[in-house]
Amino acid sequence: MSGSRTDAGGTGARDAVPDTADDRDEAAVTARLDRVEDPELARSIVELDYVGTIEIDDDRVRVTFTLPTAWCSPAFAWMMAVDARDEVEDLEWVREARVELHDHMHAEEITTGVNAGDTFGETFPDADGGVAEVRATIADKARVSRQREAIEALLAAGVDPVQIVDLDRGDVSLDGDDAHVALDGLSVVVDREPVADYLGRAEASGHVTTDDDTLFLTPEGEPIPADQLALVQKRSRLADVNMGGQGAVCDALHRARHGPNGPGESGDPTA
Amino acid sequence: MYEMDGEEIFVIDGHVHLWDARRENITHEGGEQFIQCFYDYHTGFTPEEKQWDMDEYRHYGADRMATDLFGNAAVDMAVFQPTYLTEFYDEGFNTTEQNAELAEEYPERFVLNGSFDPRDGEEGLRYLEHLKEEYDVPGVKLYTAAWRGESKGWRLDSDDAFEFLEKCSDLGIENINAHKGPTIRPLNRDAFDVKDVDDAASSFPELNFIVNHVGLPRLDDFCWIAAQEPNVYGGLAVASAMTTNRPRKFGEIMGELLYWLGEDRVLFGSDYALWNPDWLVDQVMNAELTDEQRDEYGVELDVDTMRKVMGENAARLYDIDIEEKKRQFRDDAVTERFDLVDHYGGDAGAAAD
Repeated sequence: MSGSRTDAGGTGARDAVPDTADDRDEAAVTARLDRVEDPELARSIVELDYVGTIEIDDDRVRVTFTLPTAWCSPAFAWMMAVDARDEVEDLEWVREARVELHDHMHAEEITTGVNAGDTFGETFPDADGGVAEVRATIADKARVSRQREAIEALLAAGVDPVQIVDLDRGDVSLDGDDAHVALDGLSVVVDREPVADYLGRAEASGHVTTDDDTLFLTPEGEPIPADQLALVQKRSRLADVNMGGQGAVCDALHRARHGPNGPGESGDPTA
Repeated sequence: MYEMDGEEIFVIDGHVHLWDARRENITHEGGEQFIQCFYDYHTGFTPEEKQWDMDEYRHYGADRMATDLFGNAAVDMAVFQPTYLTEFYDEGFNTTEQNAELAEEYPERFVLNGSFDPRDGEEGLRYLEHLKEEYDVPGVKLYTAAWRGESKGWRLDSDDAFEFLEKCSDLGIENINAHKGPTIRPLNRDAFDVKDVDDAASSFPELNFIVNHVGLPRLDDFCWIAAQEPNVYGGLAVASAMTTNRPRKFGEIMGELLYWLGEDRVLFGSDYALWNPDWLVDQVMNAELTDEQRDEYGVELDVDTMRKVMGENAARLYDIDIEEKKRQFRDDAVTERFDLVDHYGGDAGAAAD
């Protein structure tokens, strides 16, 4: 799994609630937690083995998680904790979810703050810049990193760069396994996945939300001049390599701290 | 020197430390967390049989460091990059003074950098002058995430920092090494930010800015800035250790760096004692791009590229005459201590096999 890319499971691609959601078991909780991402890597915290123990006591759930280093950004740790709590509490049978962060330099503050429903700013008054800002930056990087494959799919289908940069959100529709792209009365069909993946990320970033919005953008969020498309594609590749590179670092650190089986399997993770 | 395809490659390790994380030197819990975090990096990217135990990792000393670097001639020269962290460590973690113990024993083998912290104000400026006078430092290593009292970090594009960069420029301290890695602040925009390098680099074109760890986890921001600022360089510490168990990732990162910065602006560094050049140099020299990566990036890790990355680029920044050094090393103190006469061809051409 190390360094591999998740294909589905991205924020934008997960609308289906698993069938097991009504079961009061670990699998249902895990399925919910699988929707929580490490924002820096855009990969699921379940896939990344951050989740330690899950305890279910009637309508109360307790989840522990551990990050690759004690120095992981508190803002990222905060986001994952809040998202995990919210996802689990979205299960109909759950009245209260408690999320505990272990072995982090701010484990106590984050655990206390998140479970009390405090804000990040209340917990860390000296932080400059809020969680919302960090989320926005992360979401935007994910948008950039996923754009390349969607554009590659169109280029491979023979769509001209000039046409590609002119597309609006409304020119694209998803249908089964396909994505249909309208071009001056013609319709080009490509695989759904790269397009849907990009659309989900773009929307989550706050870009490309209405039919009139330009479909593809520069990392700065501007329309792309046709002669710059190749360069923007390289920048998109770079954003993707960055996320994967950081994933490799986090994965190695995580293994160094907890062994290959994650925090749930190790004896004393603080050793 | 390393031999690749029959050609000699002079190796300058651009990033080494001589640190002291013994318990008696730790004055703040951050100091213990810091060395534990380093140790995770160490074990995470070191082959199992090469891993150190925690005690030797806390403090290895000048003698062992010399052996690790030069004992098997993995490295010809090395650049000290101090990390003061005086809020965490009584005598500092890895200061210029601590590094000087070894640098002054073998001055021909080391480049000794200094450091500054703009929050030290006037006193800091005097200290920078002192470092220049005392050690003739050709560069500084900066740790923008270091704590100081209430402050949890500083920016390279702040007015205070500019005053210190101005001072560097006046003193002829040309190489500004900035650590850009994991941040420890309850955070905030720092988590992604290498952007302060951009402004500093364009405001001080006479200085060189070497971004350590190539900005990971902001490789994308870093490369984009470096593509536009010709005086910005990438230091491979951490990235080079990925050759241990993530060779494909290392290839991708090298592909990006060579694409955006080119082969003249990427510098090898082991980050010793995070990783030991004793085995790491060989590993990096043997790294290869996949066919797919070669096609994608249109670059190669061939002899010409590696010669630059492993030594020539650092030599240019620190005014090192490699040919002159090779002659000097035929009979310097390190060569005598580790019996490297044959290696440096003291016995005319003995190493040229």
